[in-house]
Amino acid sequence: MGSALENFVNQVRTMSASGSFRELADDLPESVSLLARNWSILDNVLETLDVQQHTLGVLYVLLAKLHSAATANPEPVQIIQLMRDFVHRNNVEQLRFAICAFYETCHLFTDYLVQKNLSILGIKIMARAVDQIRQIDSQLTPIHADLCLLSLKAKNFNLVLTYLDGDITDISTAAAECKTQQQQQSQHTDANNDAKYFLLFYYYGGMIYTAVKDYDRALYFFECASQPRPMAMSHIMLEAYKKFLMVSLIVEGNIAFIPKNTQVIGRFMKPMASHYHDLVNVYANSSSEELRILILKYSEAFTRDSNMGLAKQATTSLYKRNIKRLTKTFLTLSLSDVASRVQLSGAAEAERYILNMIKSGEIYASINQKDGMVLFKDDPEKYNSPDMFLNVQTNITQVLDLVKQINKMEEEIILNPMYVKKALGSQDDDLTSQHPKTYSGDPTD
Amino acid sequence: MPVLPMPPLMQNAIEPMQVDAPPNEDNENNEEQQIVVENPSIDLEVYANQYNGIVRLHRLMYVADVCPVLAVEALKMAITYVQTTYNVNLYQLLHKRLSDLNASNAPAPPAPAADLAPVPAAALPDIAAVPAAIALPPLAQGQAAGEKDSFAYDAVWVDTKMKKAALKLEKLDSDLKNYKSNSIKESIRRGHDDLADHYLSCGDLTNALKCYSRARDYCTSGKHVVNMCLNVIKVSIYLQNWVHVMSYISKAESTPDFAEGSKEANAQVHTRLECAAGLAELQQKKYKVAAKHFLNANFDHCEFPEMISTNNVAVYGGLCALATFDRPELKRLVIASTSFKLFLELEPQLRDIIFKFYESKYASCLTLLDEIRDNLLVDMYIAPHVSTLYTKIRNRALIQYFSPYMSADMHKMAMAFNSSVGDLENEVMQLILDGQIQARIDSHNKILYAKEADQRNSTFERALVLGKKYQRHTRMLVLRAAMLKSHIHVKSVTREGSSNHGAELCVSAGSTTTAQLARM
Repeated sequence: MGSALENFVNQVRTMSASGSFRELADDLPESVSLLARNWSILDNVLETLDVQQHTLGVLYVLLAKLHSAATANPEPVQIIQLMRDFVHRNNVEQLRFAICAFYETCHLFTDYLVQKNLSILGIKIMARAVDQIRQIDSQLTPIHADLCLLSLKAKNFNLVLTYLDGDITDISTAAAECKTQQQQQSQHTDANNDAKYFLLFYYYGGMIYTAVKDYDRALYFFECASQPRPMAMSHIMLEAYKKFLMVSLIVEGNIAFIPKNTQVIGRFMKPMASHYHDLVNVYANSSSEELRILILKYSEAFTRDSNMGLAKQATTSLYKRNIKRLTKTFLTLSLSDVASRVQLSGAAEAERYILNMIKSGEIYASINQKDGMVLFKDDPEKYNSPDMFLNVQTNITQVLDLVKQINKMEEEIILNPMYVKKALGSQDDDLTSQHPKTYSGDPTD
Repeated sequence: MPVLPMPPLMQNAIEPMQVDAPPNEDNENNEEQQIVVENPSIDLEVYANQYNGIVRLHRLMYVADVCPVLAVEALKMAITYVQTTYNVNLYQLLHKRLSDLNASNAPAPPAPAADLAPVPAAALPDIAAVPAAIALPPLAQGQAAGEKDSFAYDAVWVDTKMKKAALKLEKLDSDLKNYKSNSIKESIRRGHDDLADHYLSCGDLTNALKCYSRARDYCTSGKHVVNMCLNVIKVSIYLQNWVHVMSYISKAESTPDFAEGSKEANAQVHTRLECAAGLAELQQKKYKVAAKHFLNANFDHCEFPEMISTNNVAVYGGLCALATFDRPELKRLVIASTSFKLFLELEPQLRDIIFKFYESKYASCLTLLDEIRDNLLVDMYIAPHVSTLYTKIRNRALIQYFSPYMSADMHKMAMAFNSSVGDLENEVMQLILDGQIQARIDSHNKILYAKEADQRNSTFERALVLGKKYQRHTRMLVLRAAMLKSHIHVKSVTREGSSNHGAELCVSAGSTTTAQLARM
């Protein structure tokens, strides 16, 4: 056994020294099981390798260590230390030859941390890993999902928000990477893992935005998570869809953007999320009392789905929405009238709601304490201030940027030889089957 | 009188058998309509005489359904009328209903009896006072039955009619076969029509429709086609198949002969088609189109008691117009219309309502509307729409009332609409929320202020919202493109190869990870 490990070390050293990383990357996966079997003496192996020079070798040792974590039960601090060292000092050039293994290592590491309840320690490491591995800032990698998961578990969102705020224009997938690197890996599971990590990223992202109460963005993320071209339905999609409905109620008061894949929604999601649809219907009646009763009725289901908090927020949002409706129809109204029309318990509670809403700028009103009247005003915004001008300006720039991007993408497609061939109507089937991956489809369809 | 004790016994003998049915039937009625009309002021005799054929029966039955006061009378008239036809089934049904009604009324006889037989009703208390109270029901029954002897179940009539109907059917059938073997188109068509007429008389609507439709293949002239269409429309109306009605109306209107022929000659057909179209549109809740169709009807040629009466045209047209037309339309199409004026003359109350509405005397208009409400509710076609139409009329009145003002005192407004300030406030609030009135309520001083819309602001607002939507949409698009490019899509994983955790994405597999992470 010892000799086998020695062989491994020697192989890594010689091949790294000669710079033949590709061959090394192709060979190494076979030795993972060997390494995992010898988990007890992996530390010795690590000592003989240098992170900077033998990145690939260290990577696989780490992978083996994490694989055997369940049996070996190593010291968490040690693993974290190793991982931190690795992401800070590795050689990215070498890493690119084994992206797949790197992704796997990261996933395992994340799972391990979550198990040990040490998520907070992993955030920085994963952030660093993401920075290293992505080629452009707007690229989504599978380990984005890990980063989100750790942040969510640690309830620490500062770092991850910077990653979430940017838009995604490109997706790095394990399937694509592995295809170029390891032909023997089964395509099937990889492709599905990609979809899984994609969905998870948007699902976790939506939850993070919900947690920081950026509901608009959360809505966008949940919609993304429930929208991929479905040939089957995933539970992530279902959960995302449920949360999507809830957040949509809180933000919009109705279901404004209905995800397009209506077939799947109709067939699977509707029946499985029937409670939520009931909620949406009741919400539309704008009767707070009915909503409260319904939530009470389904509270078990909501608690099981961990959506009880959202349900409660939906109740509050309905009160607010009803008050907002009042502002549209009334100039003055007594507090007790407000309370009775919105079905609040009394004038005091109505006053509290209105006060909060005035504070947060949702309505414009003033309360006359003396005779208990609320005076609703119009939106003072006249769209003639420099701030508003700036706002409009930035919006326009953003839109123009987007248009540019679309144009660029269109250009790419137009220049794609496969597209040209198809567009010209030539039916050369041999060529099509040779490069099935190069033609990416018309994104505007 | 002394001879009478026999019939009541017979009646009693029949009754127990038929008592089983009522619960069922009552439920049915409750589901269909909760409308119960207490005191309509119509003269049933006059009302019924406006129609003939099946419509009269249907209408009378509807009255019996919704109006307990007139139920017995309506059923009796229906029975009298049904005896002139071959409709044996309906006769039996009506009799069952009548006896059910009597049975349910028997324990408390005064109500129906007072209507029909004042003498026994007056005598009843005396009888009830007699210790032999058990004797009461049969006795009362006997008295009542004595009065309506002519409405007793006539088994002989049923038998003979059934035989006659069967004979006639056989004859018509063989005639038709003869015609067919001779293959004279005109005769075949007539044969079909005759057969259909007979079916109609027997109350077999589906077969009637079938026969009328079959005549279609043997139509030789445009006139025949139109005739066939009219027949089909008639039966479809009885069957309440409004889509069918509409399609045959368009078929009739597009018949070359009809489209080209002189207006004068076709006036009757034309009016008939308009009325049928109006009826169909009304039933499909397209009130405005319905109103226009009814308004196109020509009074001089409006005589088809087997479908609709002139009074109906006036009421349906007038109400729909009131509910959906704006002021200029109302003036131009209804008030200034010479042809519709004649219709309105038949319904002076409705005419007053329309004029009052146009003169903005809403209080009296609404009072008058309330007065005729009960009469409308006994009409089988308009009854389901009465409340919708009334709400529409009221809302329209509110909108019109407020339209010229910048601010309006809600006390005065409430007075003009005979309602309280609180109710009015709610009504107006609903209208404002629906965007039908641009105003806001000063609840403190009870004043309604018109709101001037700031076009510039709202344009800005809309533009910003639209921009946000566009950005969102485009981002999603870019993302989708990226997804397509990297071939990300969810698909089911075959389970045997699912040692990897990718299997969690499979539809049936439980997703431990997600479930565990979903809580936060």
